[in-house]
Amino acid sequence: MGNFFSSMFDRLWGVNKEMRILILGLDGAGKTTILYRLQIGEVVTTKPTIGFNVETLVYKNLKLNVWDLGGQTSIRPYWRCYYSNTAAVIFVVDSTDKDRMATASKELHMMLQEEELQDAALLVFANKQDQPGALSASEVSKQLSLVELKDRSWSIVASSAIKGEGISEGLDWLIDVVREEQL
Amino acid sequence: MEKKLKKLLQNATRVAPKISKKGELFELRNGLVSPYPQTRKDAIKKTIQQMTLGKDVSSLFPDILKNIAASDVEQKKLVYLYVMNYAETHPELCILAVNTFVSDAQDSNPLVRCMAIRTMSMIRVDKILEYVEIPLRKTLQDDNPYVRKTAVICVAKLFALNKELCQELGVLEDLVSALEDSNPMVVANTIAALSDIYEADPTVVPLPLLIQKHVSQFLLALNECTEWARIIILGALAEYSARDALEAEQIIDRVTPHLQHVNAAVVLATVKVVIKNLPLIQVNSESAIFSKISSALVSLMSTPPEMQYVALRNIRIILQKYPQLLTRELRIFYVKFNDPLYLKLEKIDILVRLVDPSNLKQCTLLLAELKEYALEFEPEFVARAIIALSQLGVKYSEIKFVRKVLDILVELCKTRDSFQDDCLVAMCNLLRHAGTGEEEMITQVCSLAQVWGSVESVLQTDYAKCNYIWLIGQFPGQFDNLQRKIQTLLDSFTQEESLTQMSLLICVVKLHTMLPGSILQELLNLATTSTNEVDVRDMAIMYWRCLSLEGSNDDLINQLCNSTLPEISNTLDTFSPSLLETLLRELSLLSSIYYRPVATMTKFNAHKSNHVKGKQLDELKFMARDEIIRNMNEDNLLDFEDDSNSAINVGATNGSTLNDLNDLFDFATEPIQEQSKSEQPLEESLHDLTLNRTDQSHSNVNPNKSRELLDLF
Repeated sequence: MGNFFSSMFDRLWGVNKEMRILILGLDGAGKTTILYRLQIGEVVTTKPTIGFNVETLVYKNLKLNVWDLGGQTSIRPYWRCYYSNTAAVIFVVDSTDKDRMATASKELHMMLQEEELQDAALLVFANKQDQPGALSASEVSKQLSLVELKDRSWSIVASSAIKGEGISEGLDWLIDVVREEQL
Repeated sequence: MEKKLKKLLQNATRVAPKISKKGELFELRNGLVSPYPQTRKDAIKKTIQQMTLGKDVSSLFPDILKNIAASDVEQKKLVYLYVMNYAETHPELCILAVNTFVSDAQDSNPLVRCMAIRTMSMIRVDKILEYVEIPLRKTLQDDNPYVRKTAVICVAKLFALNKELCQELGVLEDLVSALEDSNPMVVANTIAALSDIYEADPTVVPLPLLIQKHVSQFLLALNECTEWARIIILGALAEYSARDALEAEQIIDRVTPHLQHVNAAVVLATVKVVIKNLPLIQVNSESAIFSKISSALVSLMSTPPEMQYVALRNIRIILQKYPQLLTRELRIFYVKFNDPLYLKLEKIDILVRLVDPSNLKQCTLLLAELKEYALEFEPEFVARAIIALSQLGVKYSEIKFVRKVLDILVELCKTRDSFQDDCLVAMCNLLRHAGTGEEEMITQVCSLAQVWGSVESVLQTDYAKCNYIWLIGQFPGQFDNLQRKIQTLLDSFTQEESLTQMSLLICVVKLHTMLPGSILQELLNLATTSTNEVDVRDMAIMYWRCLSLEGSNDDLINQLCNSTLPEISNTLDTFSPSLLETLLRELSLLSSIYYRPVATMTKFNAHKSNHVKGKQLDELKFMARDEIIRNMNEDNLLDFEDDSNSAINVGATNGSTLNDLNDLFDFATEPIQEQSKSEQPLEESLHDLTLNRTDQSHSNVNPNKSRELLDLF
């Protein structure tokens, strides 16, 4: 009996509810590394993700269902399968990869036009700040023309998944925004 | 009260998809992407439920796929089940599962590892196969034998899906080394996988050589594995030919305990191995090994009827090689009243084969038993029993016994209404066996046949009529009003089948001195003009020639007709020696039931399917031709009315009918996937047809043109 009550309360207070967060970005941007940095707090050696990884983690009393989708050209068309019920999108950019900044921008804007993502918050990680020649967050922001985004809460954070810098700051912001929107 | 509350709460807590106006699939999809894990799981269950009911839920593929990466094994299993079922409908989306497959293949739970590699190798999607290498290699070297045994089977699956890739990856070498695995299950599965691969392409793996090398491993593994693995290993052992008597004896010693296994398939497979090795060792018929085999076969007779049938078919093969094997167990094979018909027929067959022809007591017992069977009511069964009676008589061969059998048959023939056909055939067989010396028997049979008014009303089958006519021809003295009997036969000559026609021809020619010439004349006329059988006609022409020869034609006719037939010494059908050897090697396989070697069966099947396809194709071709011819006629009619446009008309209609036909073919061929080959001849035939038609239209055009030219002039 108690079981039923507890699960009913769970549902009422949204305790067991999971927030769906997508990590997207071009291949080799560091999405999988960021996911496992969040999950186990360590740097794991990764291979190109063919398909997706998904982990559930609890962050500040929120249950997050974090999806890391493969960024290869062949897989990008299938991102749309994962858009529904998404609370937030984390877009990871390789700050050293200046050549493909335009591609990243195109993918980002195309994605944000999707109906299902109209209410999703956007967090951009300007990743690989530990590498020499990495663009700063503001430069990345300009390249991705983030200022053009309207009606959306977004933020850009400079990060280094390897060193663990910037990740939790970015996530803190994201959680605050998401919680505000959900409640 | 509590129940109601429970129900209410259950509804509140679980939003398991319920059918609403928007449709089931919509609800299911919503459930699958729900933020609540429990709801998602319920939705998956519901989806699988729909799938097993046969509804098409393939459109949920991407949403189901999202749930593949769960830590819950139950949910994972369900999702894998779904993926296996629907992967082919969404080949491009399967790539999304690759990452999960690869990571699951390294999961800490061996069950998950198995599931991953099993699913990965069975999905027929090329893109997935590209990534199978690493997981397959890892699982082949896994610590857990359960995973290893799954992985070796996966190699065979991979081979079936993509031979080149399989060879490229070099996993076949891993497979060969897996034969030395410490776990018997792995060894058994490896040999099963290798046999599958060997069957598909004998050049890739040297299976016979591998079996040679690993016989000792097989013998060791045999005692420790499951029954299915045992069957596989025994099958492999049966392929192995022992080097010498000592080794053969060793193998027999090791496998004989399995003759007492509870699984009938294991028993038969063991029998196969023993029989394979028997010729190598010195045994006499009293040897212990024979009694072991015989008791094993007897034990199979207490299984359900279907299995008994299989056992009996196999026993028949073995009996031809070792006729003494089961003679003491005759009683076991007696027909039980509640056996199904197919089993009864098979048992009668075996009984006659089993009986020891030197043992009068046993033969008499069997005779009594068969007599009982002949008094049953199932027509097929009684007919078979009657034939068996004559077979038994011929087999025991002693004249007193034969007389006894004949007495029984005569009695049967008199008392039972509808088995004259079989009785007559059986009696004729006995007469032929006994020779012409047995006056008493001859009189017995002939006086029986004598009283039959018209043959038509008594005998139905061609074969029985043929026997009846033989009887008349052989012993004409035993029949009064011979002439009338022959005349009635002659009246229905044209309705008879070839066997009866021929025997009547021989009979009349033989007795032509005793019959009026008009009968002979009429018969020869009929046989040369009114029959479609070439053999009958040729024979009649030959006799006619002989009869119309000058001089000593009577001697010639006598020589032709009155040559004594060889005495029948065995009426049981047997296998040719080479077929017997093959069947003994393929004991306990399907070929032992059909009595056809495996090699011929696959060929036969391939041929058959081609034949069916060809037929279909022919039908389509005919349809096409008919259609075109019909149109052509219409066009020609048009030609006369309207000269100037006819050429264009013809061209246009040609085009449209061809298109129609093409559509027709496309539609017809679509459901059959492997039509790519057959489409080619189709196109060719269409091409031919178009060529024909263009020729025709040219010929139509030419006169028009010439007329136009004339007008111009």
